[in-house]
Amino acid sequence: MKESSGSSGLRTYVLTRLGLALPTVLILLTVVFLLMRVAPGDPITAALGARLPAKELEKRKKEAGYDKPILQQYGEYLGQVVTLDLGESVTDNRSVTSILAENGTATLELTLAAFTVTLLVGIPLGLLAGRYRDGPWDVGGRLYGIVIYAFPVFFLGFLFQLLASEVGWPTSGRASPIVEFDLNKVTHFYLIDTLIQGDFNAFWDVLQHLFLPALVLGLTISGVLIRLIRVNLLQTMRGDYVEAARARGVSERRVVVNHAFRNAMVPVVTVAGLQFAILLGGAVLTEETFNWPGIGSELVRYLNQRDYVAVQGIVTVFAIAVVAVSLLIDLINAFIDPRVRYR
Amino acid sequence: MTKVRSLLVLGAMLAAALLVAACGSDSSSSDSGGTIIRGTTDQPISYDPAGAYDLPSYDGIYSMYQNLLTVEPGGNKAVPEAADSCDFTDKDNKVFECTLKSGLKFSDGSDLTAEDVVFSFERNVEIADPNGASSLLANMKSIEAKGDDTVVFNLKEPDATWPLLLTTASFAIVPSDVYPANKLQPSDQVVGSGRYTLADYQPGQQTVMEKNDSYQGADPAKNDRVIIQYFDKASALKLAVQNGDVDIAYRSLSPTDIDSLDGADGLSVISGNGTEIRYLVFNTKLQPGDNDAQKLAIRQAVAQTIDRQSIADNVYNGTVQPLYSMIPQGVEFANQGFSDKYGEAPDVNAAKQTLADAGVDTPVPLEVWWTPSHYGAASGDEYAEIKRQLDESGLFDVTLKSTEWNQYSTAAFTDKYPTYQLGWFPDYPDADDYTSPFYLPDSFLNIHYDNAEMNKLIGQEKSSDDPQVRQQAFDRIGEIGAEDAPTIPIWQADQVAAVRDGVHGVEETFDPSFIFRFWLISKDQ
Repeated sequence: MKESSGSSGLRTYVLTRLGLALPTVLILLTVVFLLMRVAPGDPITAALGARLPAKELEKRKKEAGYDKPILQQYGEYLGQVVTLDLGESVTDNRSVTSILAENGTATLELTLAAFTVTLLVGIPLGLLAGRYRDGPWDVGGRLYGIVIYAFPVFFLGFLFQLLASEVGWPTSGRASPIVEFDLNKVTHFYLIDTLIQGDFNAFWDVLQHLFLPALVLGLTISGVLIRLIRVNLLQTMRGDYVEAARARGVSERRVVVNHAFRNAMVPVVTVAGLQFAILLGGAVLTEETFNWPGIGSELVRYLNQRDYVAVQGIVTVFAIAVVAVSLLIDLINAFIDPRVRYR
Repeated sequence: MTKVRSLLVLGAMLAAALLVAACGSDSSSSDSGGTIIRGTTDQPISYDPAGAYDLPSYDGIYSMYQNLLTVEPGGNKAVPEAADSCDFTDKDNKVFECTLKSGLKFSDGSDLTAEDVVFSFERNVEIADPNGASSLLANMKSIEAKGDDTVVFNLKEPDATWPLLLTTASFAIVPSDVYPANKLQPSDQVVGSGRYTLADYQPGQQTVMEKNDSYQGADPAKNDRVIIQYFDKASALKLAVQNGDVDIAYRSLSPTDIDSLDGADGLSVISGNGTEIRYLVFNTKLQPGDNDAQKLAIRQAVAQTIDRQSIADNVYNGTVQPLYSMIPQGVEFANQGFSDKYGEAPDVNAAKQTLADAGVDTPVPLEVWWTPSHYGAASGDEYAEIKRQLDESGLFDVTLKSTEWNQYSTAAFTDKYPTYQLGWFPDYPDADDYTSPFYLPDSFLNIHYDNAEMNKLIGQEKSSDDPQVRQQAFDRIGEIGAEDAPTIPIWQADQVAAVRDGVHGVEETFDPSFIFRFWLISKDQ
């Protein structure tokens, strides 16, 4: 009986969350659409405003359909989203799908690499800071966390670029121009594509290019993770079951790693998941600094050119991705922690 | 235990992969023979001529297609490219006939015929792409093919600029059996008859062009492959050329970047004639002044007060030249209208007298607009310098205002700004392209400037192909432009590139046509 009630609660929770996701996406799409229309400028004036007379510009805007009633444009936009046809960018005639495939994977590759750096740096330092409270590890870890978080990512990136250029390490792009041309882009994840191609020289070249932006982005985010793990570890270390484990003679190392750490990670999963979602869009400054052809830097470019179609398409997918990640985190939490679904 | 073992195996595999990779040679240097890599911050809009009206697209189009006419390196006149000969065949300059060279072929192996030329122009007008230059063909009444090798343009009005107009990349020739008649060809599916074929196009990342072995024409490429690598920021481009990741950094390094690269190890800064200009615009309806005479005096006094040399030296570190005419030096029929009238050096006393004669109270409040997001990072410094010069004269009280390009490009031309910054690069290197867009009553500037004599002179220079008639017309246009000063020229930019040692030929391509001729560039092996 109890089990049946539990699975029913989980089902209700999942359905509720899924039901909320749809209006959330719709609200986001509407806001994006309205903001693009309220903002001054349009793609044609942005490109040719200082070359063609006003009459000619108006003619071109009319031909492009920018004079249609806003409700009609909104309806067409929603129709495109529903049919998964996000259209072609106005300024360079690229299909939004190919923008997402080419630039989106670049961002995803960078984000995954950066997130690996975050976990590799954040988890051990957070554990050490929590385990040795007020000791040198704690003070050092907290100080590092604050300093690295306070550093603007572009500034840190620029410093690393200067250092790297001194030793001849690549400072921009996803690969050397010739490697990029020779690479058969099957997945658009360059590390994977070089391995599929069996070209270790190209793999090394791509890895070198990825290292610096991933390090900078990963370190910046690691500060948050350190402080989060530390605080959660300190709280769980005060738990009765930890005291009981100690009383049973379990070594302090096992108490921390096997008992306290696992429980401390539950809220960390939530925050880390959200950080990952934010990273997808928030990598833009890193992308700009390292000339990384990700979706964030493309979004900024299209925004500057007032390319309605490209911006709407990219932000739509962003919105859906963030909502999906949030939903996934909620579901994981509900699965791990029964208290969540009964609240 | 099993988990730990798995992790150890995985780690060992990764380490081995890295070791193998690290031991290998750097693949970026394994294949550089004959490949020229140019870094740029400019991104193309379309490699279909019908969808292009921007320099970055033109760079690719000039390389992969042919026009009927072109401009030779260092020249400023239209000479045959795909055409064997072209000329007006009537005395009114309204019928223009071109005969094609024989044996020309597109990269797909098909013949280039007169039918393809007709198709290229007609689809350009038919598509009328919002980003294209079809409006430049407004004077074309019709185009027809006479046999396989002759094309006849019938014009609505006499037009001596037509030959140079045909050198514009927007009017390159495309194959009629490949390109759609009513929509653009995707940029990654180029078929042309130029010196290169398109090997790969990754928007925002790179364009790769390879030498076209079936190219029939003059000056085949001196290199095997060209890679245009795109950068978001000039700072990243600067680092890339410093590190040797690119052979050439061209457009748009800041003056500070150029200054710091000049003399750096392994590279040199090369500059050449450029015809991109910057100027100040007065909306004659909104500018200060109680009547036309006062408004004219205020414009003239500004022209007398601005120190162009100081701007060129102090803001742009000598990478631009002072400009004393809307027609820049290097373009045929260029003049020095402003320095002839006001002198090269600023003359505050003369400006004071000009204002006093018209009964203008000083200091004149002047609202000047500029934009930080379209004309380069130094625009802010440029306009701070202009404000300093005008304020220090005691004759003006300048208020600087700025806004992003998207808002600026709408507001400036719709009677919102009394005085504003603007720039121009040529559609084609003819003096007409530096006069009729600014001085005619239907100018895109919308500044309500209308001078009957000016309108007549522009009509004259446009309709006559007699150099003497055109010279006289442009000389007088220069005088009236300086006298009325609805626009005040400030500077013309040199074309500047940072080039790695061992790369040759960049200096040969820098001329008023703005055609970047990749085919002239070679690299030591």
